[in-house]
Amino acid sequence: MWKETRERELGKLHPNLFSNRIRKTRLSSIQLSNHKEIVSSHRGSINSLQVDLTEGRYLIAGASDATVAVYDVQRATDYVEGDQIEKHKSIFVINKQHDHGHKYAISSAMWYPVDTGLFITGSYDHHINVWDTNTTQVVMNFKMPGKVYRTAMSSLAKSHMLIASGTEDVQVRLCDIASGAFSHTLSGHRDSVMSLEWSTSSEWVLITGGCDGAIRFWDIRRAGCFCVLDQSHSQLGRRPPLLQRSATNKVSTSKSSSSAQSSFEKVRAPQKKVVNSNALKPLAVGRISNQPKGVRQRLHPGMLSTHDRATAHYGVVTGLKVTEDGMYLLSAGSDSRLRLWDIESGCNTLVNFETTRLQSSKAIQMAVSRDSALVFVPCMATAKAFDMWSGQTMQTFRGHYENVNCCWYSSQDQELYTGSNDRQILVWSPPKFTSDETNQRGKGLSIAVDQDNWSD
Amino acid sequence: MKKTTVSEPSTSRKRPRDEDSEPGSEPEPVPGNSIDHSGSLSLEENFSFSDTMVALQIMRAQFPHIEKVSVQPFVLQSQLYSSIKDRTQVDRELESLRRDRVLRIFKLNTGQDDHAVMFMDDYLNQIEHVVKRMEVKTQDGLMVFEWFKTHVIHSKLDASIGHQELCSLLSLGGKVKEEHISLLINAGIVIRQLIDQNMYWFAIPNIGSVLKGLSQGRKEVLSFLNRRKYKEMMLAPLEKKCLRFSPLDMRFHLRDLIGSGHLKTVQTPSGLVVRVAKD
Repeated sequence: MWKETRERELGKLHPNLFSNRIRKTRLSSIQLSNHKEIVSSHRGSINSLQVDLTEGRYLIAGASDATVAVYDVQRATDYVEGDQIEKHKSIFVINKQHDHGHKYAISSAMWYPVDTGLFITGSYDHHINVWDTNTTQVVMNFKMPGKVYRTAMSSLAKSHMLIASGTEDVQVRLCDIASGAFSHTLSGHRDSVMSLEWSTSSEWVLITGGCDGAIRFWDIRRAGCFCVLDQSHSQLGRRPPLLQRSATNKVSTSKSSSSAQSSFEKVRAPQKKVVNSNALKPLAVGRISNQPKGVRQRLHPGMLSTHDRATAHYGVVTGLKVTEDGMYLLSAGSDSRLRLWDIESGCNTLVNFETTRLQSSKAIQMAVSRDSALVFVPCMATAKAFDMWSGQTMQTFRGHYENVNCCWYSSQDQELYTGSNDRQILVWSPPKFTSDETNQRGKGLSIAVDQDNWSD
Repeated sequence: MKKTTVSEPSTSRKRPRDEDSEPGSEPEPVPGNSIDHSGSLSLEENFSFSDTMVALQIMRAQFPHIEKVSVQPFVLQSQLYSSIKDRTQVDRELESLRRDRVLRIFKLNTGQDDHAVMFMDDYLNQIEHVVKRMEVKTQDGLMVFEWFKTHVIHSKLDASIGHQELCSLLSLGGKVKEEHISLLINAGIVIRQLIDQNMYWFAIPNIGSVLKGLSQGRKEVLSFLNRRKYKEMMLAPLEKKCLRFSPLDMRFHLRDLIGSGHLKTVQTPSGLVVRVAKD
């Protein structure tokens, strides 16, 4: 490392390359932290974790006992064992006794993407609350028709402040903070929606995964979804080779036209001419379908996707994660498979992640490292780090006593936070060598006062 | 010359190892003799292969012979995972072989993510057997199997098919009636999906008893290892055990369980040890 620092000084090594190398070495040495500990103030399993996107300093956690707590992960509240271990207690806790607090389990807690002045919680008591952080009061409340499984806000949004919520109901609702009302609903799923994420490349694209096993892409400016991922559409490799791209497009249009109902002929006519002539014959010869023409309503072209029953997983889609460059989507299902999808072509890249079992009743929250090299996935009582492109298990993080529900990777400090059913939040970080510092410090002295640690 | 002096106490073990390294290293399988020999090799010797096609050929040759039921050999996808290190490579090679119509992949109903891989010729043979048995019972409507073979199998390569699409593909052969679809379902070639009424799974006909044996055999192997004090056993003696509830042999089950992650193998100085995986 000193050699690289010297090269950086002399200008032989590019600064980005230098910082990336240091990050990679630190990332590969992550283990249960020997200097940091978060004192959990929850009495229920931890369902959601998020570190704020602006400073990377505050961790918000939502738990099953309707408590929400915020922890400062950069400044410790106290030090034990001769200043070697930092303990981070919560800055504040909101529980059931709070007026307008949630009554049942909180399934998702997240910061407002612009700053830490607001945070949003969704709970099984059918409510989504928007809280003011400084006064810890509810400023806005949205009532949903069913248990709220997941909420998400786009971190790229410049023209909207919509909270997307996935609930027990089949429709995804978008709640607007600016007006306090629902802006619109997205229908197309055939069962409750357990996971949803906004795209990291466009502020208008929302990705939802439902209990019917389907993953749908929605452009919120249009009706209906524009893409449904099908696990049988696959490509061999990270991106499809150029020559084959046109062939796979033809295959997908022929498949969709032959499965469309007979009354959609008018809408599908221009596409049919592209398809091989075999598809035209059966509709003329074999009239098996008993539906008389004209009785069926013609659906809006945007809603044709409701008939697309392709599934991305053989079970419930329990977790979604988009990579930071917006090109790939990782999805976890209750069939214990993790799939990596190429967003642009909509194909399964067939990377096989060695997951034996994934929990199937609750949603899981996954994390991806910033350069999309490692994926952190909670697998039953452990968290595993997989290599994104080959699917091999790089590291297994064993420390929790019960199932791990959520994990969050902070790329700024190269630390991983995991929350589980055993009510603990564990910190996994590169090891800190403290032997030199303790010798110098002596017994009575505390750590050198940090001049930057002040607040009004 | 070195080999004769070293291998005197165990000549029967060392000699097959030479033959084993040949099919493992070549990209194409050596036809004929070496595959017939491999039926007698133990699991410990040919545990890992270099290529999916080679692994498929050898596992197909090692498929246990079952009395009473005539089943063409098939390989479970988890068995492939146990013998080839890179699972992504297995998935991608299976996908390209499937697209080339060399083999077909079927989703099984025994467990979460079970898939069976069968070569196209074996699948067509299996359908032939079933058709012959149905000819004894009923005579009319049997051309639907011909239509199925010529039109559906070669154009629809996925594991499932929708009702509309099935009817439209079959009607390329002739006028399709509801009875024809019922014949296909009775023969076990096509199975209705539980979740969606209009979708069917493709299935291997006549393997119901084998699948039952598969799930019971899995439970038996796992419970046998779990009952032991340290939940582990050496692979060589474990492989020689006979299973009471499954017609498939121990090697088949071991490959399947190792590939699906329920068991793991550890290399020790005295050979491979099979252990129940903790997480």
